[in-house]
Amino acid sequence: MTHLMTVLVLQLAVIIVAAKILGWVFQNKLNQPRVLGELAAGMIIGPYALGAIHIPALHGGLFPLPGTTLPVTPELYGFAIVASIILLFSAGLETDLPTFLRFSGKGSLVGLGGVILSFVLGDVVTVLFFDDVVHFMDPKALFLGTLSTATSVGITARILSERRKMSSPEGVTILAAAVLDDVIGIILLAVVVGVVKVETSGAGVPWGEIGIIALKAFGFWLISTVIGIIVAPRLAKNLKRFKSMDMIAIISFGLALFLSGLSEMVGLAMIIGAYVIGLALSQTDVAHETRERLLGIYNFFVPIFFTIMGMMVNFAAMKNVLVFGLLYTAVAFAGKIFGCGIPAIFAGFNMKGALRIGAGMLPRGEVTLIIAGIGLASGVIGQDMFGVAIMTLLAASIIAPPYLIKTFQGGSGYRSKLKDKDIGDIHSIELDFPGQKMADFIRGKLLEGFRNEEFFVHKVDYNKQIYHIRKDEILITLIQNEDKISINTTPENEAFVRLLMLEEVLDLKDFLSGLESMKSPDMMGADLLMGMFGVAPEKK
Amino acid sequence: MNLKKILNTNLVELDLKGNSKQEIIENLLDILVKTGNVKDRAVALEALLEREAKMSTGIQQGVAIPHGKTDAVTELLACVGIVKGGVDFKALDGIPSKIFIMTLSPSTRSGPHVQFLADISRVLISEGMREKLINAETKDELISLIVKRPS
Repeated sequence: MTHLMTVLVLQLAVIIVAAKILGWVFQNKLNQPRVLGELAAGMIIGPYALGAIHIPALHGGLFPLPGTTLPVTPELYGFAIVASIILLFSAGLETDLPTFLRFSGKGSLVGLGGVILSFVLGDVVTVLFFDDVVHFMDPKALFLGTLSTATSVGITARILSERRKMSSPEGVTILAAAVLDDVIGIILLAVVVGVVKVETSGAGVPWGEIGIIALKAFGFWLISTVIGIIVAPRLAKNLKRFKSMDMIAIISFGLALFLSGLSEMVGLAMIIGAYVIGLALSQTDVAHETRERLLGIYNFFVPIFFTIMGMMVNFAAMKNVLVFGLLYTAVAFAGKIFGCGIPAIFAGFNMKGALRIGAGMLPRGEVTLIIAGIGLASGVIGQDMFGVAIMTLLAASIIAPPYLIKTFQGGSGYRSKLKDKDIGDIHSIELDFPGQKMADFIRGKLLEGFRNEEFFVHKVDYNKQIYHIRKDEILITLIQNEDKISINTTPENEAFVRLLMLEEVLDLKDFLSGLESMKSPDMMGADLLMGMFGVAPEKK
Repeated sequence: MNLKKILNTNLVELDLKGNSKQEIIENLLDILVKTGNVKDRAVALEALLEREAKMSTGIQQGVAIPHGKTDAVTELLACVGIVKGGVDFKALDGIPSKIFIMTLSPSTRSGPHVQFLADISRVLISEGMREKLINAETKDELISLIVKRPS
């Protein structure tokens, strides 16, 4: 027992340090998402690489193969489970249901098309390629189909924001489609996990039984989501009585853990419970704060998750499925490009617009890994197929961003010149401040101003100051780059944005004259120093 | 925000009196006070003047949007006044102001307040529209001009 814990603690130490360092290198030096760095860290230190090196004091490698279905110890995998719950809880909290409902027309067409086509293609290619997979409903085929559906729109959102294309019709459609993509992907996962748990062999189960499982999974999701959304505002109100955002955040997270366990008990994947709680709370006013408060544990746990996922990559097993992996990757890409692109054409986009939307739906990320991890842990897919999932993820991360940037060059993606606003003419208002601290302060004030106007403010990326500010069909992007703040929006909302900025800047006047009427900073500084008398000041 | 819900004939004045910023603001405020929804006239006036002191709300082209945030109201209130001859409102472009739209919004409650102001000012972008507003014969006509905007 003591030895077990000693090893666990040492493992965690190596994991978090390696994940942080490689994550940093990938992000800052290679210009790749941090996730990939964390994944690479896992591959390098894992049981199939450095982790196997014999260390005398440990009587083996630091990451020995435990000889179970998973290449990591259950203790360590427990951390990955908690991390996946945190990930999905946060994803749920971030879900912007009102915006989704606003744009649901085009968005759901596109999202649904992508999910259906990539699921079918992913499933069918598995059936065609493997002799032992004979049935569309084979667990392995179902899983690979599900794996093929998950889009991670974070990368797309970042690229579009940087290129000021977020508010373009394509950008808005991609975002709305991605919300649907997540929801359907997770329901699909619920159904597939349910089916797989019943299926014992590749023989398949009767359709009737599958129907019942699907209904149960969907029912659990729907009922708990509806109850969640109804109860959440009251819950948030009651939690506010504690007058502590930490309490609210932690109790909400406790609920997410609870519902995760519950969903596992009724035969669904744990992460569904976590996602549902997040989704329910996403519409309450504590959602934003809860996310902020959980950022600490998020930053600690989530890299552990990706690193452990990286550890599960067995290069030897991947060699055998290289051909299938390439085929599957190609099919997964086709599923998104055609599955999303074709409905986009029906929604009024031209070829260019359709390609842009297809490209925007290509990136994969967290959800792919979570699904793959669940498949591996339950024994439905082996290490070879897990390797295939990783291959697809890597390929998407490398190919999608430059492809997306390329597709967005050139003119409008709309087939006909409809109304002005549909063409996505974006005006940019830029403000320069004397320093970054000042800009930070103003940014905070502006965002608060938008929130007071009942806009939803959503931080697109944790590493960059890019925000989406939305209400109904209005989408405003705020980007802060050091001491510059720029706000992008459509011409018809420009008057509003300018007026709001003006009001906030005028408020600043009050603040400044307030500062002036204070004691002079020197005096105050002197007072502060006097209080320190007797204690040698270490810093100025 | 529904302009129709906020404005009615009691909140419109086709011939607003006043020769100075102070008088115009007080007279507009009185329209709102008459509805009984302003708890404290003095507090509301102070908020309006304070905002005016920071920068004139006489935006451009004869349009002014005096507004303030105050706890003297519990929800957004708005009224419209026309001064056919125009008044010097210390507007940014120096043109005398003829169309006045005043709003008061609660300082502690969130809501689309600035958005309301922006929406209503957008109606006034076209010169033809401003002309029509200034020359409106009846209160109903004025309201329908503002409400019936190109969407």
